[in-house]
This record gives sequence, structure tokens and C-alpha cells, in this order.
Amino acid sequence: MADLSESVHYRFPPARAYVLNRCLYRLKSDAAFRSRFVTDARAAMAEAGLDETEQAALLAGDRDGLVGRGAHPYLVFMANLRLQMERDGVTFEYF
Amino acid sequence: MLVGAFACAHTPQLLARPATEDRDLVLRVHAAFARVKRRLTELRPDALVVVAGDHVEAFFLNAVPALAVYVGTEAAGSFGPYRYRFPVHEPLARALVEQGIERGFDLFYTQEAPLDYAFFVPLHFAMPEPAVPIVPLHVNVYLPPQPTPRRCYAWGQALAQILSERSERVVLMASGGMSHFPGTDRYASPAFEWDREVLERLQAGRGRELAALSGEELDRAGNVELRTWITVLGAVGEAKAEVYCYEPSWHHGNAIVEWPI
Repeated sequence: MADLSESVHYRFPPARAYVLNRCLYRLKSDAAFRSRFVTDARAAMAEAGLDETEQAALLAGDRDGLVGRGAHPYLVFMANLRLQMERDGVTFEYF
Repeated sequence: MLVGAFACAHTPQLLARPATEDRDLVLRVHAAFARVKRRLTELRPDALVVVAGDHVEAFFLNAVPALAVYVGTEAAGSFGPYRYRFPVHEPLARALVEQGIERGFDLFYTQEAPLDYAFFVPLHFAMPEPAVPIVPLHVNVYLPPQPTPRRCYAWGQALAQILSERSERVVLMASGGMSHFPGTDRYASPAFEWDREVLERLQAGRGRELAALSGEELDRAGNVELRTWITVLGAVGEAKAEVYCYEPSWHHGNAIVEWPI
């Protein structure tokens, strides 16, 4: 096999990031929560239990900041995509 | 009895066709799925056992099963505007749990969990008409520590033994791969050469070698989902893969293969 020498991409999600990962999971998979977030992100994040730093990183779309705090990269990716789909009406079935 | 085995990509862009994708490439993958559908129609399965990795949809960090079986009357889920629901072959699902546990696999089972799009995308394109009941088998691919490739291969071997004693005609289908890195800096640069090397091994009937890969190697190659293929490889042994397509897009190595049984 070819040598691929970077470190791993998906790491064990630290327990200290459980609340942050749960919020991302709900943005991805819980339509009602996602809708509340689109209406009032601060209120939804407070409901989810995020601290100020986590809220700022999520609002800024700061992927590296979120992952650095223990967020799972896939959850960051898909939560963001689902939010885009909801906010911007991303065009599906283009062809 | 096992009558067929496949592995298919499931990237949601194949389904959703957003403007970011290469239309011709996506249509070529659709054509390969149509070929799977024709083969499934010929094979006349009584059940489709689909081995897929959950994208943190059915199982979150409150319970992370390594290997799970959906034992219900049906399985349903949604992804964006898509809603889907499939009948589950409950007797077979139950047999896989019971006999898997007898064979030393401490399986998790669920009678209610949302069905991830990893199960849906291949079935959207390849499900024969009328629809065949499914048995969704979950492999943890995204939440470390995942089951080792060696363990996945052994589970596939056990599946083959269990199925050999069943009267139903069963097709195994792995859903996942190949190289992609969602949520990371490497999203736009998958390890296509690594994929091609794996496909060469599979065409030569050397699938067993994949059981010796480490989880770290799979991660570095963007192939954490290859655990689903390795599970099916345990069931097909040294069968030589027929590659229906390998279509590297800007973010994903889209492969569809069959192992003739």
C-alpha cells in the first residue's frame, strides 16, 4: 500500500466535547432544532448548552476551531451542509 | 443461501445531483447502478442484506455499537427532501443476531433507529421491482475506535456460514467508499491511487489481504467505510470482483463492484 503519512482524520471524540457534538448532531438530524437554530441561533445554542467560545466558533463557521475543541469533523461538515440546505435552499437535482 | 454480493458507493451527491457535480460522471455511476438492478432482478433474492456505515444518524455518542443488526418489521429514514421506508426480513434479521451471538459476535440490535442514507442511496437506484425485504447491518466506521478490519472480515465469514444454512436466497451488499474525507482539509483530494490498488487486488481474488489493514491505514486513505466491503469480503472469500465502475469525482472515489458467487 502507498505510504500515507499524515495523522488520522477521525479521532476519538473527547467526552468534554459531548455537548458540542450533540448540538452538531441535532443540527444534522433534528429538523425542529435546526429550524430553531435558523430562526435564533443564540437561543438554540444556549438550549443545547454550548459555552460562549463554542457558540462563537459555530456562528463563525470556524471548522478548525470546532474540531480543535473536540467536534467530530463529519458532524461539523454535515451540520453545516444541512444548515445551508435549510437557509439557502441549495438547489437539488440540478441535472 | 448466498446468491450474490456487491459493493456500492453511496455518496449523497449521486442522489441529490447538486450543481457542484460532474453530470456525465454521475450518470455513468447511475448506469452502473442500473446494471446492479438488472443483476438483482436475475438473482431473484428473497432478502437483501445491506452492510453500511451509519453517518452518526441512528447511533450517536450515547450508544456506539461496533456491529449492529436492525431487527424490525420495517426500517425508515430521511435525508433532506428524501423520505424512504423498506420492509425488513425479520426472520432472517433475527437469525443473524441469534446465530451471530452463538458464533461469538456480541451484536447490538435495534428495533427502532433511523435508517441512514448510506442504506438508502444504493437501494434508491438498485432495488428490484417489486421491492425485496432488506436486513440492515451496521458497522461503526466514523466513531473511533471502530471494529478492526480483521473483525469485520470474521463477521463476514460468520455471515456466510449462517446464510449457507438458510433456505432464503440472499444477496449481500456493502455500501460505502471508496476514498473520501468529509469534514477535513483533504475533502478535495481523495486517495484515488490507493483505491485503484485495492480494486486490482479484489479483481485478482485477493480480498482477504484487506483484513490485514489497520484502522489507521483505512483512515489515512479516506477509506474508513471500506470496513463494510471487508465484511462482505469475509463472506465471498477468494471470489474475483468484477468492477462495474470506478469514477473518481472531485471529492469521492465512486466504485461499484460485484463478486459473482
